[in-house]
Amino acid sequence: MVFEELSDLKEHYLRCVRCGQCRSVCPVFEEVRNETAAPRSKVFLAHMLSSGELRPCPEAAAHFSRCILCQACTRECPSAVPVHKIILAARSMLAREHPSRIRATIFREIWTRPALLKLAAGFVRCSQSLGLVKIGQACGLLPPAFSLPGRLPRRPALSSLPEITPAAGKLTARLGYFLGCSTNYLYPEIARSTVSVLSQLGCEVVLPQTLKCCGLPQLESGELEAVAPMVHDNLATFKRLGVNTIFSDCASCTATLKELQVQQLFSGIEILDLSGLLLDLLDNYNSGIKELNRVATYHDPCHLAGAQGITLSPRQLLRRTGVEFREMKDAGNCCGGGGTFAIYHYDLSMKILSKKIKSIEETGADTVATFCPTCIMQLRHGLAKQKLAIEVAHPVQLLAQSLKTGLNTKKPYDLAGSKE
Amino acid sequence: MNSHRLAAELRKIYPEDRIITGELERRIYNYDSSFMARFHNFMPDAVVLPRSTAEVSATLRLASEHKIPVVPRGAGSGETCGCLAIRGGIVLDLSSWDTIEEVDSANMQVIARPGVVHYKLNKHLEKYGLFFPPDPGSTRMCTIGGMVANNSSGLRAIKYGTTEQYVLGLEVVLAGGQVIQTGGVRCKALKNVSGLNLTKLFVGSEGILGVITKVRLRVWPKPRARGIAMACFADLNEAPAAVLDVYRAGIMPSGIEVLDASAIRAINLYRPDINLPPSEAILLFEVDGNPASVEWEGRQIAEIVGKRAFSVEWSTDPDRMKDLWRGRSVVAVAAARLRQGGSRIFAGEDISVPLDKVTEALLRIKELSHKHSIPVVNYGHIGDGNVHTAPVINLNSPEEIERANKLVDDIHRLAIELNGTTTGEHGVGAVRNQYAWDEHGEAVNIMKRIKKALDPDNIMNPGKMLPAEGDTGGV
Repeated sequence: MVFEELSDLKEHYLRCVRCGQCRSVCPVFEEVRNETAAPRSKVFLAHMLSSGELRPCPEAAAHFSRCILCQACTRECPSAVPVHKIILAARSMLAREHPSRIRATIFREIWTRPALLKLAAGFVRCSQSLGLVKIGQACGLLPPAFSLPGRLPRRPALSSLPEITPAAGKLTARLGYFLGCSTNYLYPEIARSTVSVLSQLGCEVVLPQTLKCCGLPQLESGELEAVAPMVHDNLATFKRLGVNTIFSDCASCTATLKELQVQQLFSGIEILDLSGLLLDLLDNYNSGIKELNRVATYHDPCHLAGAQGITLSPRQLLRRTGVEFREMKDAGNCCGGGGTFAIYHYDLSMKILSKKIKSIEETGADTVATFCPTCIMQLRHGLAKQKLAIEVAHPVQLLAQSLKTGLNTKKPYDLAGSKE
Repeated sequence: MNSHRLAAELRKIYPEDRIITGELERRIYNYDSSFMARFHNFMPDAVVLPRSTAEVSATLRLASEHKIPVVPRGAGSGETCGCLAIRGGIVLDLSSWDTIEEVDSANMQVIARPGVVHYKLNKHLEKYGLFFPPDPGSTRMCTIGGMVANNSSGLRAIKYGTTEQYVLGLEVVLAGGQVIQTGGVRCKALKNVSGLNLTKLFVGSEGILGVITKVRLRVWPKPRARGIAMACFADLNEAPAAVLDVYRAGIMPSGIEVLDASAIRAINLYRPDINLPPSEAILLFEVDGNPASVEWEGRQIAEIVGKRAFSVEWSTDPDRMKDLWRGRSVVAVAAARLRQGGSRIFAGEDISVPLDKVTEALLRIKELSHKHSIPVVNYGHIGDGNVHTAPVINLNSPEEIERANKLVDDIHRLAIELNGTTTGEHGVGAVRNQYAWDEHGEAVNIMKRIKKALDPDNIMNPGKMLPAEGDTGGV
């Protein structure tokens, strides 16, 4: 795995000339509006941490946590400084110096073990069903961020999907499905659409039942040691199942695998962009596509557009689903989700989100599509808060809807997901 | 006044969320882009974020009463330590006060608060078919207040001039808290010669005379067309000569940029796909105006410059223009690629020399680079003799840092020797004030008297622009 310590990144942070151009693109800076939120301030403090001028302290940890890791600064930097990598390395150093039992339990002990994660998800769902979350929030014991995921479905995707789904017609490809934690536990309906669509388009879909997390939550929270074993286990699992070509419907998962240089380190492994893959498959699909009576706009997830540079194919895919497509203003601006960021900095996250919601609303679309489950969670939360009747969907769900033949699920086109 | 008491006093003026007193956060206000800032701890005692003239005025009254230094700050994109609290005190971070108060298109002017970002102002003015012409490389982050305080310019200064030519009036808060309007209290005229020109006094004064809280700017109709010509030269001497040929033909491009051999090599190392032809110099001419005149001027430039250059290409196609401009747009980052582990520094980066001395300046900078064994990349606004030198050094070597400082001093002294100046557009701050006597002679004493008259206790951005106390420069 490619884990860079702060000391490994010295050449990069020394290259920062502190010009401040990162201020012009940072969604957090845009809201906080003082230098302490500028990405360059994090590079500056990382340098001080590394040189020992600044001792690791809770204030520094709080400072480094105030970043969505959208990577806009890295892309904008005229000196090509990988700001997000420096922030991740600083978080890791701070986590080592100031270990937290709660953080370690969540990200190292539970999140790395699928069985425990499933149990934890079940516990959250039960608490939601018994109204404990609402009571906890009303009493001020639980932060508002606990409302973000909405009501968890009864069964995760893995419980309802087989390890191998054969191609519906002539086999064109055999693909490994990297099912992310968010899709699995929050939006199993997306996973069902993904499997069904690919099967219809001639793919055999291999979904390992023992898949672990991609490692992003651990990277974000500085718990680096937990990442490598999970990635090794996951790739060994795919290898055991005889799959080298992997895709995911979660932009964060593919971005993380690419960031960890999985393709370079594990020979033969190829990570595909789902939107490009679907477009290629559709080119050979002869059964026709149903026009959808929808007006849709598209939100670029930071982990797809920013981290992987994929912006065109998702839009082309949406157009192929037969929706009327309308571009929103600043589609590439972050929605403020960013995994754990929205939990730790809920108010800030909501301010960033409100601009995105405004852009969506201005399009007049009835549907907003995006390729990232975390963005879906964030957008649904924001739209519900403002009582806007705009659906949030994964493009693969829209494609499932527009393919003429149906799916083998009870409520295949329920975009919001069955609550069973 | 101790820091607790200062914080308590500031809380009487500002809400809690616009005062910064925590140590870690104050340390963040310890930098700008300058080389000097990397090696000093210029931590302020407090940072405040004003959003009204009354707040600034109250802060200056408090500071004046207790003789606390006050340092105005925009986006902190400068290269001179100009916005750093080198003597402690209060930093006024004006960058969040970013209201465009009025666009008066009928009178071709705009009124803005100091924190408005240059790029955002021009984006806003687009709706009216107008623009604010000075075009600094830092457009995406620098603020109008900072531009006025430093009299900034940039790529298009040869045709459009510097910021001072567009400032019609200012609201300034003086050291004791007094608020004045320059350029006329109610005046909205585009021409005004009544009274002493205090506007020009404050433009470029780097915060040592007062705090700029409102700016009335003249704006221009936005040109409808643009074109770019790229010319490659086998001999460095031919490049400045080609610039003069263009001027003599009665053509005034909106920008003329130069990349010397070091810059071309660095760009090709950094981005082989850009593939600039190996040359001793490349010139980029930008022409703007109406479509017919742009086309005519561009073709004239190509013909004139073609007599000296071994290749010239002219284009008005947006994609091709982007390609032609790519080398210039990446040169800042490319510079560091001249050596493994090297960092580009902002020091000695802004000399300006007479047009007929540009070649000599470039050649002698190359000699100085060899003398001090510090690689440099040269680029800049050749149309007005403004050379940007980018030394590339190993920041881990104290000995090399020492050599870099000597190189920078030599570059500054070279500029003065060539009848130029140590700074064409970036300013003096705390990094070039030691050259004040050499550049201005007896006039420095007049500057000091003006400073004393407006700021008797020397609380406004002390230690900047003027020579240090005790430095009489032998005058």
